[in-house]
Amino acid sequence: MTVPQPTPEEIKERATIDRSTRYPVMFFFTSAAAWLLAATILGFLSSLKLRVPGLWDECQFMGYGRLFPAHLNALVYGWAMQAGIGVMLWLMARLTRTPLRQTVAVLVTGHLWNAAVALAVCTVWFGFGKSIPLLDFPTWVWPILAIAYALTVMWVIPMFRTRREGLPYISEMFVVGAVLWFPWIFVTANILINKGTAPVMGAGLNAWFISNLSYFWMAPVSLAVAYYIIPKISGRPIFSYPLAHASFWLLAFLAGWTGFSRYMGGPFPAWMSAISGAASIFILLAIVATVVNLMISLKGCSKLWRYSPSLRFTVFGMLMLAIYAILSAASSTYFFGKDLQFSHFMVGLDTLAFYGFFSMTIFGAIYFIVPRITGSEWPSGERIRTHFWFSAYGIITLVITMLVGGIAQGGDLAVWDRAFSVSFVNSSAYVVGRATAWGLIGYSNLLFLCQLYQMFIGKGRKSEGPTLLHTEPGKAASAKAAAGMS
Amino acid sequence: MASEENNNIDYEQGTVSAADLHDSVRRENALHPGGEGTVGISVLVISAVILILGGGQLFSTSNGFRDNIYTSSDYVPETRPSLGGEDGGGAEVAWIDDWMKGGKKVYNNCIACHQASGLGLAGQFPPLVGSEWVDGGTTRLGAILLHGINGPFKVAGQSYNQLMPAWNNLSDEKVAQVITYIRREFGALPEGDDGVVTAEMIKAARDQFSGQAAPYTEAELLAIPAGDNLSGAKVDLQTGEPLPEGGEN
Repeated sequence: MTVPQPTPEEIKERATIDRSTRYPVMFFFTSAAAWLLAATILGFLSSLKLRVPGLWDECQFMGYGRLFPAHLNALVYGWAMQAGIGVMLWLMARLTRTPLRQTVAVLVTGHLWNAAVALAVCTVWFGFGKSIPLLDFPTWVWPILAIAYALTVMWVIPMFRTRREGLPYISEMFVVGAVLWFPWIFVTANILINKGTAPVMGAGLNAWFISNLSYFWMAPVSLAVAYYIIPKISGRPIFSYPLAHASFWLLAFLAGWTGFSRYMGGPFPAWMSAISGAASIFILLAIVATVVNLMISLKGCSKLWRYSPSLRFTVFGMLMLAIYAILSAASSTYFFGKDLQFSHFMVGLDTLAFYGFFSMTIFGAIYFIVPRITGSEWPSGERIRTHFWFSAYGIITLVITMLVGGIAQGGDLAVWDRAFSVSFVNSSAYVVGRATAWGLIGYSNLLFLCQLYQMFIGKGRKSEGPTLLHTEPGKAASAKAAAGMS
Repeated sequence: MASEENNNIDYEQGTVSAADLHDSVRRENALHPGGEGTVGISVLVISAVILILGGGQLFSTSNGFRDNIYTSSDYVPETRPSLGGEDGGGAEVAWIDDWMKGGKKVYNNCIACHQASGLGLAGQFPPLVGSEWVDGGTTRLGAILLHGINGPFKVAGQSYNQLMPAWNNLSDEKVAQVITYIRREFGALPEGDDGVVTAEMIKAARDQFSGQAAPYTEAELLAIPAGDNLSGAKVDLQTGEPLPEGGEN
C-alpha cells in the first residue's frame, strides 16, 4: 500500500501543533507517571498487608483500610485521568489541526488538579476517608477535582467547534464524549451520595460510578487512542468506518445503564440490577464491534506490532478491553455474579479496567506522542520492551489470581453458615498473586518513569529513526524501513 | 541549546524552528478517511447471541419491573437449620411443614369469614376452633369444601344462616392442604389422627360426591357418619410417601 507523502506544509503544521502542546502535555504525562509509581507502591503494600495482616501493626498509616483507597485514588485520579487528559488534549489538537493556545491556563489547572489529587490521596491516607470506593475523599475535595477537570478539558470544545474538516473523525467523537460524560457521572454521583441518599442507594450509585468511569470515560479515551494509533501506524484506513460509528453510539446509549448489578440481590428493586446486567451484556455489542473492527484493520500487520511500541501497547490494551467487557458482563448475571459478588474478583475487574485496558492503551499513546512533542527519540527500545512484558505479565497475573481467588472467596461467602473469616483464609493465598503483580508492574513503571523524565529534560536520543522494540538485523536504523512505526 | 531556540517560537505565526521539524513528524503516516468494509456473518451471529443473552438476563431477573419487588423471580432462599430446616445440604424440609405452609397460603381465601384466628365472627360466621365439623372425620369436611353448605346449620351449639360457597375450583392439592391446615391448626384431633388429608383423597372425594349439584344442607351432611374419613393411604409426615396399609398411625 502506498502512503501519500506529507507535504512540507503538513509537516510544518504538525510540528506547530506538537510544539504548542509540549509543556502542558508533558506536564500531565510526567506527573501522571509519578502518581502511577506511587499508586503501584501503595497497591503492592496493600496486597502485602492483606496477605500478612500483622505487618506494621502499630502504624495506623499502614492499615489496609487506608492503603487500598489511597492506592485506588492515586491510580485513577493521579495517573489514569491525568494521563488521559494529556492524551485527549494532544489528540484533539492534532485531529482538529488547531494548536493549543491556552498553554498557561492548562498548566495552571493541571497544577490545581494535582493539588486536588494530592488532597484526595492524603486525606484518605490520613484517615478522613469515607469508605466509598473512588469517591472516598472528604466532601470538599470533589468540587476542586470537578472544577480542575472542567477548566482543563474545556479547551477541547472550542477546538472541536473550529475543526478544519467538516465531519469529525471517530477519535474526536470519543474524546468529546469522554470530556462531557465524566463531569456528568462525577457530579451526579457525588451530589447524590453526599446529599444523604439512603445508604443502600449510595452503594448502588457508587457501583454505577465505578462502572461508568470504565465505560463512559476510560473506554472512550482508549478507543480514541486506538482509532488514531492503529491507522496511523499501519498506514491503513479503519476497516469499517460505519461500524466504528455504530460502536460509539451503542456505547453512548448503553454505558449509563451499567453498574447496579454489582449489588444484585441487594435491597434494590429487582429491575435495577436486571437492567444493569442486561446493559452490561448489550454493551458487548459495542466492544465486540470495535475490537473486531480494529483487529481486521490490522490483518497481516504482525510485523508492525512486533516492532512498534505504540502499536503493541494499543493492541494489547484493546484485547484487555474485550476481556474486561466479557468478564464484567458475565459477573453481572446472577449465574456467575452470585459467586463473584463482594470478592477479590471485583478488585481484579476494576484493576483490569484501570490498568489492563486503559493504562496499556495510554502507554501506547504516550510512546507515540512524546517523541513528537519533545523532538527526541525514546532512549532505549529494550526498556520499552521490559515495560511492556512486565506490565503485561503483571496485569494478567493479577486478573487470573483475582478471578480464581474471587471464585474461592465468593463461593465461601455464599454459604451462609460458614464463618466470614474462612473466606479470607481460603483466598489469602491468591493475594500473593496480587502482590507479585504489583511488584512486576512497579518495576515496569520505574523504567517508564525514568525514560519519560529523560525525555522531559531533553536527554532523549537525538539521532534519526524511531526507537523500536527490536532492531532489525541488517536494516537497523533505517528510517525509511521503519516509516511510521512509532 | 535547542530548548533556547524553542522558547522563542511564535505559535500563532506557525513559525517552527529546524529543531522542531523532527524526524518523528516527517515519518508519520497520513490519517486515512474511514474504510467501508463489511463484517462477516460471524459478527452478526455473535451480536444475535449477545442480544438473546442480554434479553434473557433482563426479563428473567427483573421480575415484572415493579418498584416493590426486590428479588429475582426464581430466587429460592437457602434453608437454615437454625430455623428448623435440616442440616447439611439444605433442602431437607419435612414434607408436612411444606404441606402446612401451602395450606396456610390457601387459607387466605377463608380469612374474610373465618378470620386468621379461625374463630369466625360471633353470630355471623362460624368458628373452626371447637367446631365438630372440623374435629370429626374428614369426609364431612371434604364434602363442605367441595360443594359448600347452605344454612341454617349449627356449629358448636350456635345456629348460623349463611351460604358457604363451593371451593371445587381449587386443585386437589390445595383443597387437601387447606383441610390439613385447619385440622392441625384449629382442630382438636381424635387420638391417632394426624389430621393429614392428601391430594389423592380429595381426588377420590370429587368422584364420591360428584352427584351433588347444590350446596349441602345440614340434613344431607348429617347423613354422612360423623367419624367417616376420606379413603386413601396415610402418608409419612417426613417424606410424604404413602405408608403401607395397616402401618403405624
